[in-house]
Amino acid sequence: MWPVTKCNWRFVVSGAGGGGNDVQWCFSQVKGAIDDDVAEADIISTVEFNHSGELLATGDKGGRVVIFQQETENKSQSQFRSEYNVYSTFQSHEPEFDYLKSLEIEEKINKIRWLPQKNAAQFLLSTNDKTIKLWKISERDKRPEGYNLKEEDGRYRDAATITTLRVPVFRPMDLMVEASPRRVFANAHTYHINSISVNSDNETYLSADDLRINLWHLEITDRSFNIVDIKPANMEELTEVITAAEFHPHQCNTFVYSSSKGTIRLCDMRASALCDKHSKLFEEPEDPSNRSFFSEIISSISDVKFSHNGRYMMTRDYLSVKIWDLNMENRPVETYQVHEYLRSKLCSLYENDCIFDKFECCWNGNDSVVMTGSYNNFFRMLDRSQRRDVTLEASRESCKPRQVLKPRRVCAGGKRKKDEISVDSLDFNKKILHTAWHPQENIIAVATTNNLYIFQEKVN
Amino acid sequence: MDVEAKRIMALSISKLYSLRTQRGGLRLHRSLLLSMTMRAARDIYHTAQLLRDAEEEQVVPCAPDAATEEPMEITKDSPQTLTPKEVAMKPQEPIDAVEDDKENRCASERHSRKRHCKTAIEPDFLPLKKAKMDTDEEKQHLPGEVLRTNNGNSYRQAESLTAFPANRAIVAY
Repeated sequence: MWPVTKCNWRFVVSGAGGGGNDVQWCFSQVKGAIDDDVAEADIISTVEFNHSGELLATGDKGGRVVIFQQETENKSQSQFRSEYNVYSTFQSHEPEFDYLKSLEIEEKINKIRWLPQKNAAQFLLSTNDKTIKLWKISERDKRPEGYNLKEEDGRYRDAATITTLRVPVFRPMDLMVEASPRRVFANAHTYHINSISVNSDNETYLSADDLRINLWHLEITDRSFNIVDIKPANMEELTEVITAAEFHPHQCNTFVYSSSKGTIRLCDMRASALCDKHSKLFEEPEDPSNRSFFSEIISSISDVKFSHNGRYMMTRDYLSVKIWDLNMENRPVETYQVHEYLRSKLCSLYENDCIFDKFECCWNGNDSVVMTGSYNNFFRMLDRSQRRDVTLEASRESCKPRQVLKPRRVCAGGKRKKDEISVDSLDFNKKILHTAWHPQENIIAVATTNNLYIFQEKVN
Repeated sequence: MDVEAKRIMALSISKLYSLRTQRGGLRLHRSLLLSMTMRAARDIYHTAQLLRDAEEEQVVPCAPDAATEEPMEITKDSPQTLTPKEVAMKPQEPIDAVEDDKENRCASERHSRKRHCKTAIEPDFLPLKKAKMDTDEEKQHLPGEVLRTNNGNSYRQAESLTAFPANRAIVAY
């Protein structure tokens, strides 16, 4: 019998499934410390599946990267779900001090992006506020044994004692996963890096800070091309900053960047060397009835993601998720309210700084469902095809084996029904900012403050 | 509405100040959002004040009273020495004024407030912006600026809340 702490389910690996509301999600695993006292270094700051979904990387505020690997041994037995176990842990970035500006540079990992796999090794890019690093993660499961001049523990043998010669041979050893920094891309950003994105050409990538976007070649670290620069001549005239940027999944000449004003610009690198002039500008006129002191803040886009098919892109602002058709610039094709009940609470959220929280969003494998986080450890699944949505919770109380996640409901006002939670009872310290969806299967990784939850689809 | 506006202004300022001591250097995005919110609040506050002044002008003006000018002087004098909490509590004066019947408010107080508004462009508790080399340029930029000067009462002449030139900002430890 499987021990209770492990959650192995009867699970059939489906294709790129719908993940819609006829799908039931159940708890699979949770990683991280249980205690409520969260060490700041353990706060998860980014989550990313690799292209096959076999590996799941997390970055934290302490500058560490932890990679989990899906166990493949049970895949042939389709009834058993494969688990994610720790594969590699390494310190990616250390705190630094910029003496010239008298500034400390945080080691927090802002983003991780995987490179498509080319050989046995895996590569990922990780970045903090100022420096991007390319890491190679490789396995070693053999080592040479039988040296003539050295003992097995490495000490040199006395040459006089050597009477015979032998050829060293490779013998199996316990699997060792090594992470080594292969490239360091530094000193190219004055402002804080918010995004990195690998190009579909697999040779270049972009990095974006508040005012500039740079294009790098993965092999070249001592220079990069500046392709977007929105810094005004007079900083007094600054009205917007870049909040996120991403390359198109198939067109290597196309990328988008979002702004703090709620606009998205699509740029074509073939048009000119400096892409300050956009090819397309996506902007929805503001609803005047919703105008408030905080309109500027809540319209700031915190994340932008292309769909896998490259036809759409999704943006996340404070209260909503919007799906844009790349061929229509004047308004999104779909808008989903994530937590509209917070609109009347914006002043309090401004006071406690929650209004500045940057939520991410992600697509499922076939672009039919999108997911984003909220407060109280709630996250939202928005089914585009069925036009339905559900709110689920990542909680230690729902960690029992075979436990299906129950939909949660928030009561905005008036009489609270049974099983509903009122807006004032929400815990705004428990926020889900980072989520990731397996590229092919219905497996999702949801990061609470310092825990990583993995949920999988239940198959009846 | 202007009470709320003043409160948000004060809140924004305190947040902008605390940004300077945050680890990792000045956050441009957040500074920008805070400044924009503060500007929006300031605009509302000003509009409310102007409207109030416009109403006052319709009433017969009275002679100034030295005694009642005092409360306004305090507000004017050393705003930076106030903690954000105090600033938030400060609106008790305008709160009382608003709650009172406007027509029955002391005419002299109104008169002094009116005069005060004419001389200062900004709410008085905003610190002086960093002195620029060319003051003419500064005046031209007034409509577009995020922060403006007060009437010279601030002792923090060299400080600036204009946090945007991030590469020039020096974080004090």
